[in-house]
Amino acid sequence: MNIIVCLKQILDPLIPVRDFRIDPELRAAVQGSASLVTNIFCENALETALQLRERAGGKITVLAFGAPSAEDSLRKALAMKADDAVLVVNDGNVHPDPMAVARVLAAAIRKIGAFDLVMLGRESGDWGAGQTGGLLAEELGVASVSFVDAIEVADGESHLKLHLKRQTDTGWERVAAPTPLVVTVTNDEHNVPRIPKTRDVMMSYRQPLAKWTLDELGIDAAAVRAGGDYYRVVDLSIPVRETKCELVSGDSLEDKVSDLAARILQVTRAM
Amino acid sequence: MDHSEATREVLWNIGNVWLMYLMFAVSAGVAAYGLYIRIARWRRGREAVRFDRPAERLRLLLRHAAAQGRTVRERQAAIFHTFIYTGFIILTIATTVVLIEHDFGIPVMRGAFYLYFQSFIVDVFGALVLVGVLIAAVRRLFVKPKKLVYTDEALWILTAIFAIAVTGFLIEGWRIAATRDPWGSWSPLGYMVAQISSSVMSEGAMRTAHLIGWWTHAALVFGFIAWAPYTKMAHVVFGPLNIYTASLEPIGAALRPIDFEKAEVLGVKALSGFTWKDLADFDACTECGRCTSVCPANTVGKTLSPRDLILDLRALLHRAPIKRNANGADGGASEDVFDLPIVGVVESASPESLWACTTCAACVEACPVFIEQMPKIVDLRRYLVMEEADFPDTMQEAVTSLESRGHPFRGATASRVDWADGLNVKTINEARDAEVLLWVGCGGALIERNQKVVRATAQLLEKAGVRFAILGREEKCTGDPARRIGNEFLFEMLAKENAERLNNYGVKKIVTSCPHCFNTFRNEYPQFGGSYEVYHHSEYLARLVDEGRIRPVTADERSITFHDPCYLGRHNGVFDAPRKLVQIASRRGVVEMEQSRATSFCCGGGGGMSFIEEPKDKRVNQERARQILATGADLVAVGCPFCLTMLEDGVNARRGERDVRVMDVAEILWQSMNSENTEQTKDYGTNGKKPGD
Repeated sequence: MNIIVCLKQILDPLIPVRDFRIDPELRAAVQGSASLVTNIFCENALETALQLRERAGGKITVLAFGAPSAEDSLRKALAMKADDAVLVVNDGNVHPDPMAVARVLAAAIRKIGAFDLVMLGRESGDWGAGQTGGLLAEELGVASVSFVDAIEVADGESHLKLHLKRQTDTGWERVAAPTPLVVTVTNDEHNVPRIPKTRDVMMSYRQPLAKWTLDELGIDAAAVRAGGDYYRVVDLSIPVRETKCELVSGDSLEDKVSDLAARILQVTRAM
Repeated sequence: MDHSEATREVLWNIGNVWLMYLMFAVSAGVAAYGLYIRIARWRRGREAVRFDRPAERLRLLLRHAAAQGRTVRERQAAIFHTFIYTGFIILTIATTVVLIEHDFGIPVMRGAFYLYFQSFIVDVFGALVLVGVLIAAVRRLFVKPKKLVYTDEALWILTAIFAIAVTGFLIEGWRIAATRDPWGSWSPLGYMVAQISSSVMSEGAMRTAHLIGWWTHAALVFGFIAWAPYTKMAHVVFGPLNIYTASLEPIGAALRPIDFEKAEVLGVKALSGFTWKDLADFDACTECGRCTSVCPANTVGKTLSPRDLILDLRALLHRAPIKRNANGADGGASEDVFDLPIVGVVESASPESLWACTTCAACVEACPVFIEQMPKIVDLRRYLVMEEADFPDTMQEAVTSLESRGHPFRGATASRVDWADGLNVKTINEARDAEVLLWVGCGGALIERNQKVVRATAQLLEKAGVRFAILGREEKCTGDPARRIGNEFLFEMLAKENAERLNNYGVKKIVTSCPHCFNTFRNEYPQFGGSYEVYHHSEYLARLVDEGRIRPVTADERSITFHDPCYLGRHNGVFDAPRKLVQIASRRGVVEMEQSRATSFCCGGGGGMSFIEEPKDKRVNQERARQILATGADLVAVGCPFCLTMLEDGVNARRGERDVRVMDVAEILWQSMNSENTEQTKDYGTNGKKPGD
């Protein structure tokens, strides 16, 4: 089975709140002292893929579209034992919209060649749009299943078919789907990303890693560099948290309790 | 009687003396072979430089082998071992005197020397051997301390020594009686035997008894010599050798770097990964069990036992051939034991045990023959972490956080500079002429309770007029937790990165309130291109006090005890500076705990253990809290961010018993500068929580 896992490198979402800054001009987060990490849901996707390969065999190619630094995410994936890695270097707008990203990924996947399964994280920890997976399936012209947390290969089928477990608002759904297929993966206790062995981390720096430019993909590179035309961020701000302290008044305990109840009612009605 | 004529006939009553020489030759041969096979196995180990600096090694040998420096720390052992040990030495000298007299024909066994030494002293020390053996036997059979290993071998050794001493006195007595030795009374025990024997035995009977007794004694002695190298008695040779080849560095420098370019296996997978000195350590073990009895993990009921680890590895080593097994590579029954994976084969090296070690090195400090248990545990951890990626989840989180964020506290909400809010603290980028870099450390910067310690330290430095700066957001973990957990690769990356940054800023002097950072800078960074003058804040502050740049004006009224951080005290020998700060900032001085200074008991937070949730009934910090409460102190002073949070948790868990506060020495000093400096010291005790708790 040929599996392609798309990885996105993002700013560490666990930086201290006080270190988080926004550039009002660019309408984007400022890196500051934050490190760059692989988006956690993408790592869940990779872990799910690695487990699937352990059971069903096949090959895993990891693919990223991003700044040259995204090579670190791909190297880590190689250390976790992905087979091949491809980086499409983004030399344009650093925050392209999901449609532009989906077009780049689709073009890169076509260039990689035949695939059975494309896996992505359900959303990224920076913008959280959660759209790339679905849009990518559209671009590739295949079906997609979202919020998947487990995948099994169906036995005894002449055509490769997958059984997928997907999380819903109310529980789980089990669905079957033929390949080729795009799935977005969510986290589950079974797909916590493995810690690579140090030996493999060392080896990952010696493995080949393909670097492609936007111009090599046969798409409208200029539109991608401009950041896409699908949507744009109009405003971006850090929510301000306000805390207000009021003292309950009253002479007796009964008075205090009724005052408290009145205040709670007041607040909840206002909400 | 003229003393100058005093002597005795050597080999009186003994014929066929050639048989004795034959027995001696056989016995020496068997013993030599026993030593040879052990040493041959060590030679299969990796390289280690342990014969350099002979003068220092000789001093160590005199202090700890000849003078039994560590052995005598324990009272029972001090008595019985000293009796047996000195007895052996005196009796060996006496036998050598006989050899010189009889075989070399040099008349030395004469006159006053014969009477005072060869008769009286030898008899007394022989008696001490008997007493020593009896004490050891009572201890082993009736007192039964938990730390000992109860083997038949140990009992047979005692029996053999006892029999040798008894037969010695018997044949001495019979000779004195049968020859009517005029100098007999100079050998008090032998003389007593002579008196009793002559009243119940005829002279002929005594001659016969002497003849049989003498050959029995000879057979026992030569048998013992032949057998000893195959038993723990080999420590007579290997103990001193192990002391001579001990590490001359502070314990804090015990971990070896790995050459990642060349290493075939990262960490120690099998015996083949150890150095010859590690293997020699196994053979030097006397099974005294002190390492396990002082191990904090073992004390609270965890499975880790440094003694069992050493003994199990020794047993494994003894199963290994002395040369590489040619058929080993293709596996099967002929597989070389040297290549067997230790974790999984050796029971005491279970992951559960290995992940209980706080790397406090109490074991290393306790060992009378200088075995280095802790570095071996880290070697085994290295293999699990780097080759198998198999280690506890919460430690994995710490390592992952170190990799991506440069600190081990996943979910930390503070930034690296929050602690300095409202203080005039500059980064080194802003103050390039700073004379001192204050290394804040991840604990100091990111854990709320520890921020107060760094604040106090910075304020004290400022008050003393020290031009200091911090790295601020550029600071990253020194790598200590990564190294102790076993991720040497990550440690090396962090060390190189930090050293490069510090060198770029031209940093010469570092002050830090974290003993782990302190140890890493002082003992480990020089191997990675970072050599600095490094001070624990207690050392630096004590110096400022000496220079009169800090003057306490008030004194703490409370009763204060001091908890030695392992990486400051035992690992680096800094005991007095923090005590001095407590001394000058308080009215009553330091109340010492039973386990303090070099034998201090760990808080439970070292070696990556503060990233592990210990079972509720097996927590090292609660045991230490119990010891703190036992002193009756109101306040426990510490000098380490890990100790601070661990002990705060520990004393809080025992809150019902008595209310004890935990404060860093810098906080106590800062408080004493001004009675209004209580901002630092108000209301803690409950907020020692770590981020991610």
